[in-house]
Amino acid sequence: MSARPATARRYSAWSLLRARLAGPGYWRPLWSGRKLQPAYDVVIVGAGGHGLATAFHLARDHGIRRIAVLERRLVGYGNVGRNTTIVRSNYLLPENHYFYEDSLRRWETLSQDLNYNVMYSPRGVVDLALTDDSLPSLARRGNAMRLAGIDAELLDLPALERFAPELEPRRKRRFPLVGALLQRRGGTVRHDAVAWGYARAASALGVDIIEDCEVTGVSATGQAADGVETTRGRVKADRIVFATAGHTGLIGSMLGTPLPIETHLLQAMVSEPIKPLLNSVYVYVSPGHGETYICQSDRGGLVMGGHLDGFPSFTREGAWHRLEDVVQGAVELFPRIGGVKILRQWAGTNDMTMDGSPIMDRLRYDNVFVNAGWCYGGFKAIPASGAAFAQFVASGTAPDLIRAYRLSRFATGHMLDEPGQGPFPVRL
Amino acid sequence: MTRLVCPFCGARELQEFEFHKTLPAVGADGEFERTYLRVADAQLSMEHWQHVGGCRSWLLVRRNPSTGAVLAIEALAGVTP
Repeated sequence: MSARPATARRYSAWSLLRARLAGPGYWRPLWSGRKLQPAYDVVIVGAGGHGLATAFHLARDHGIRRIAVLERRLVGYGNVGRNTTIVRSNYLLPENHYFYEDSLRRWETLSQDLNYNVMYSPRGVVDLALTDDSLPSLARRGNAMRLAGIDAELLDLPALERFAPELEPRRKRRFPLVGALLQRRGGTVRHDAVAWGYARAASALGVDIIEDCEVTGVSATGQAADGVETTRGRVKADRIVFATAGHTGLIGSMLGTPLPIETHLLQAMVSEPIKPLLNSVYVYVSPGHGETYICQSDRGGLVMGGHLDGFPSFTREGAWHRLEDVVQGAVELFPRIGGVKILRQWAGTNDMTMDGSPIMDRLRYDNVFVNAGWCYGGFKAIPASGAAFAQFVASGTAPDLIRAYRLSRFATGHMLDEPGQGPFPVRL
Repeated sequence: MTRLVCPFCGARELQEFEFHKTLPAVGADGEFERTYLRVADAQLSMEHWQHVGGCRSWLLVRRNPSTGAVLAIEALAGVTP
């Protein structure tokens, strides 16, 4: 009997036909059945999007075979299953927009790369201006993107009306629409499928995905870590990667290394399904209610989110008044959805860094790597993060794409302060 | 966590209060450490808040960030954070 169960079947028209003829039992679990081994080349902590993508690229691109991904709960339990599925690359700072553009290009072909349909839907991401002074800042961001060869269009009201008639841009409102910045290639991706697709593809390459296995410590001799302590015993590892979004501050405390990170909650909610109403993803700051973003899922639910709750928390609950803000902001833009009911509400824990940009670097030991600090933008970063971080872990040298995300930037003053708010994880 | 108890005004809705910052770790001496670094503790978070929608006093709040329980709130008498 083989120690490892057979890997999942490849999806194709041919395999669908085979499955039909073979009857029940043809399809196999996407990942499962692996036993934790005593030693690995690379141990990745956290089976979320970034951890699984890093494992996939280490196995596929760098030929590393003995890889384990250790997960405290379930694959996809954390932020990869809690975000609002939006992908885009409309950033202002060059370090960020080149990175996120690399990611967006990978989203375009990810379903083929993973042989798993992640439902990339380039329906456009529209940043709306509701005040005169927000339009110039959108124009500035759009110009920065265009200089980098990224698609961005500044829309006046007639153009916005043509692109998104459901917005009724000329409708009389308390805060009338002024204009918008559109990125057509932005859109949504089915988040659960991303976790499952990467897990399946990594598993097929021989990666051991171990759920219900919490890492409680790192053992080391001198400047080199040699393994991790887990709730399932000790595991030796040549290299250790932490991809524990939302809890990286606690990892820093575990290693005795304070980090420029605080954990804050970001909530999201989805309404009951309604008929198709929204063509695109809309993001705006309402002078009355703060930030809101809203889009419609393929099932018909209106997916909404807004600003952080505003204080550190690991509870994954979400403060009531922020939910109210988001809903009020949504109804302000689309008064006709006022009677729609909220179906579910949830929150994710966000590693908020002191400049709003991620950290991809070594942590305390030469062979311990941390992929963290994605704030509320981690989902869209997954494909580029996995590829670049795998290269970093395999070669020991950070590729150019992520060099700006080094941890030492906070001490040397090379912050990437995309929101322009100074050394604060949250400014309301 | 839906309410905080202001030492001057009593229990008020959370949205009357504004989180300002987490206190740096004890022994964080340098300007850089105090400004940027945090020692995360799953059981205790010490924070400065302000009762902006009420008496506007500055408060020292001790909370458990894993459960949301408020452990203690006291006024920052004579101290401007």
